[in-house]
Amino acid sequence: MRLTSLNLLLTFLSVLAWAPDLRAQGSFTLSGQIYDANTHEALPGAALLIKGTSTGVNSDNRGSFSIEVKSGKIKISCEFVGYDSVDTTLTISANTTLNFMLRQNSQQLQEVRIRGNAEIHKEIATQNLTILQGADLDRTRGLSLGESLKSITGVTTFQTGPSISKPIIHGMYSNRILILNNGVRLEAQQWGSEHAPEIDPFIANKLEVIKGAAGIRYGSDAIGGVILVEPKELPNNPGMNGEVNIIGMTNSRLGAFSSMVQGAFDKKLKGLSYRLQGTYKVAGNTSTPNYLLENTGLREKDFSAALNYHHKNYGLDLYYSIFDTKLGIFTGAEVGSGNDLQQRIQEPRPLTPSYFSYHIDRPYQTVSHNTLKLKSFYNFDNGSKIQLQYADQTNTRSEYDFTPLNGRQTPELYLQIKSQTLDINYSHKQLGDFSGSFGLNGLTQGNVRKYEYLIPNFRNYGGGAYFIEKYSHKNLLLEAGLRYDYRWLRAYMLNDNTALIETPTTHYQASSSTLGALYNFTTQLKLGANFSSAFRVPTVNELYSNGVHQSLVSFEKGDPNLKTERANNVNVNLTYATSRVLIDLQGYYNNISNFIFSNPSNQITRTPRGQALVFNYTQANVFFKGIDLGITFKPADSIDINSKTSLIYAWNKTIHDYLIYTPANRFQNSVSYHLGSFAGLKNILISAEDIFVGKQTHVPAGQDYAPAPGGYNLVNTHLGFRISLRNNFADIDLSVNNLTNKTYRDYLDRFRYFTDEPGRNFALRLRLPFRI
Amino acid sequence: MLKLKNLTFVLWGTLLFLGGCTKEEQAVAPTIANESLTTVILKATNTADAADTTSCRYKFTFDSQGNVTSSDSTPLNLKANATYAVAVQLYDELQSPVFDVSAEIKERQNYHLFFFQPTPISPANLVTGLTSPYIPGTATSATGPYLNLSVARTDHDTNNPAYELGLADKFTTGEASSGNLEVVLRHQPNAKNGTYAPGSTDLDVSYKVIIK
Repeated sequence: MRLTSLNLLLTFLSVLAWAPDLRAQGSFTLSGQIYDANTHEALPGAALLIKGTSTGVNSDNRGSFSIEVKSGKIKISCEFVGYDSVDTTLTISANTTLNFMLRQNSQQLQEVRIRGNAEIHKEIATQNLTILQGADLDRTRGLSLGESLKSITGVTTFQTGPSISKPIIHGMYSNRILILNNGVRLEAQQWGSEHAPEIDPFIANKLEVIKGAAGIRYGSDAIGGVILVEPKELPNNPGMNGEVNIIGMTNSRLGAFSSMVQGAFDKKLKGLSYRLQGTYKVAGNTSTPNYLLENTGLREKDFSAALNYHHKNYGLDLYYSIFDTKLGIFTGAEVGSGNDLQQRIQEPRPLTPSYFSYHIDRPYQTVSHNTLKLKSFYNFDNGSKIQLQYADQTNTRSEYDFTPLNGRQTPELYLQIKSQTLDINYSHKQLGDFSGSFGLNGLTQGNVRKYEYLIPNFRNYGGGAYFIEKYSHKNLLLEAGLRYDYRWLRAYMLNDNTALIETPTTHYQASSSTLGALYNFTTQLKLGANFSSAFRVPTVNELYSNGVHQSLVSFEKGDPNLKTERANNVNVNLTYATSRVLIDLQGYYNNISNFIFSNPSNQITRTPRGQALVFNYTQANVFFKGIDLGITFKPADSIDINSKTSLIYAWNKTIHDYLIYTPANRFQNSVSYHLGSFAGLKNILISAEDIFVGKQTHVPAGQDYAPAPGGYNLVNTHLGFRISLRNNFADIDLSVNNLTNKTYRDYLDRFRYFTDEPGRNFALRLRLPFRI
Repeated sequence: MLKLKNLTFVLWGTLLFLGGCTKEEQAVAPTIANESLTTVILKATNTADAADTTSCRYKFTFDSQGNVTSSDSTPLNLKANATYAVAVQLYDELQSPVFDVSAEIKERQNYHLFFFQPTPISPANLVTGLTSPYIPGTATSATGPYLNLSVARTDHDTNNPAYELGLADKFTTGEASSGNLEVVLRHQPNAKNGTYAPGSTDLDVSYKVIIK
């Protein structure tokens, strides 16, 4: 089977591997070898492709390759049938050697390591970047974006029941982290704690997380971190291929189906490539160990299409995606008044009937998010590059409560936000040991609300300019960057007395900066440090909220005079990697002045349903500090022992108390055993994992409705293997989460006041790549 | 390829043009509050004398963002040692014509249940009547002056077995006394079982009651 695929690939490559049309000046040789990451055997016939060009080469009998490349930043992809491809970006300034270790598709080895004298290119080289890809990502298929990222140290989720989860990075969430969906900064109603990111994780072939203030490159607000959802590059090889993913889970009886086809043309249409991808997901009521949660089903329909045209030195990428979901909200979490909430907290279990159904009734949310992206680039002959990106996003959110007494069937809340962004980035040619880029970002955004008042209509303009420069000499990399941002926000709301439209307007300007160093002591030991200063402007809800947030009957009052938040963040990273041991240690300290949070007052407000507690948006000086430690140990080639520790501590310096909703300390330990082949099955892997989440004892006094729940221990197991089919293969993965059917509640689930977390869940995942 | 380059420019131009032109946010839609229930009336008719009617009214005023700015209520004056047939009437006066919310509740009676809780005027006298559909958590005591009123629901829903509803009630007064009457409407979809606990509160108001 491998031989036929290999022949096929070689045929493609013979089309590709034409002599590169390069001038002698500014061109260098990139050479190296391609190996199997596990057996260390050379891989002949593997393809090395230069992205954005039609240049490529395939490795010879000894797995070696050599190719002429231009100086400057290049993207390369190393691909081989049956192996996960490796995409990386390099800055070429000299003849470079680079060895690739490819890993078979479904093996659970540690992250693919690229060794050589070239640095992996990152936008901010001295900050911690964690990548979730390959088999590790495949094992999260069917989960939401937030849940998928939980295996990364320092990352967890803020949940509203089983269906809504938001990622938390180093204790921060919502507007304090940015999500880039295929290069487009996700603009939605991300301020809401029960508003999950509108992203289909199936579009990604890798998820990257930058932990720490990364506002310098990605814009203001990113004071906690950045999540990059990266689809695979479109193929260069003519032909068509694709993938089908089918997932079934016992808890909530979830079914998910996702498929993708992609291809590239040749001859007259050479340079033109495309991808179509769609996902359908359906789930019913979730079950906890002792009861089912009424009305917790979900539906999701996603579609995306990409069309690229890449010529020798310029290219145009077009991308469109639709995300559409309907999320049931657990009826047992509905409360009308503060008394109701107190009563719910007293009840040991929900009083709602326990039964299974796929039916979603009120209360529910529907959210749709459309993204259109147009990107073009031009590569100058001297190695400089310019990139221009425009994106248009429309996010429409309707929230339905129980049908009100007056019988009205419309949603209780409707919000539509339309955002247009324009980004220009120029990377200058390598100048001696210096490389760098500068750019401009622009944003215009309009929000329209209907029905209830929660946030007002508004118009938001933003503009930013940045400059990042890197100096790389021998084992040392230094980096510095500066950014300036301007934000203008005008709200439109009715004045009570005059019944006229008022337009309170705020504007903010601030700078961000970053300074970092990375030193390679040996090829195995690397130490990096980064200081970043970034800011976040108050969001519209923090400024102008005025009403009862029904989910926890809190009456939230904004403050139009809030100032910007300023984060000063220090990160230190130590990486030690050998073939047997991988240690990744990150320590961080994030000092935030004027941190905005909603603070419970001692005031009560009256509603027809009873009383609600008043929360005021206010500011304080706080800090977050913590340690993320990941250790992988391979006592033998077939065994991986993995230990991940995330420790975090947050303190409000102004009121001398802890910060509410800070993640508890988290420990994940796992063992994986690679059995190899048996009875026609290949790549057999079994693993077991224990997740221990401590009790959050660092809670502020008098700020929560109920005490923090106790810590818990979860056991997950998993079995994966590959079946060879006639011309193909299929990867199958069976897993059991919460194997012991443990009853527990999580501090960072807003529904912990009402219900236990989900019980045991068996999942079956099938991945079927195909070629046409 | 020149053509494709031109197409690029055309695409960029179109997108930039489309991007900057909408100003929908400048038209502000009126607030429609989730529960724009404005008025609750208890209409009492003396069972011994159909001409003897009395009523009390609770009214909410909302601002343009749907928040309660004020509320006012009129007291319920009842005769001592009498029985009254009471109808609970709820209206949304923000709608035009005025919307009869009680009719809507009658339609969805299997999901709703009223509770009545006589309470003393002064919180110092933790005393309530003893035979009304209680609201759990309300303090009671057997001594001291109390509102001498007991309430019984007289209508039923169509659940099987049927549960009481409370849009129609019988008020029985004792000796002259005064106090408050708290009226709560519980919304109990798929969970109504005749008790207070399931579901959430749709309405919670209180009237002054004078029996003389």
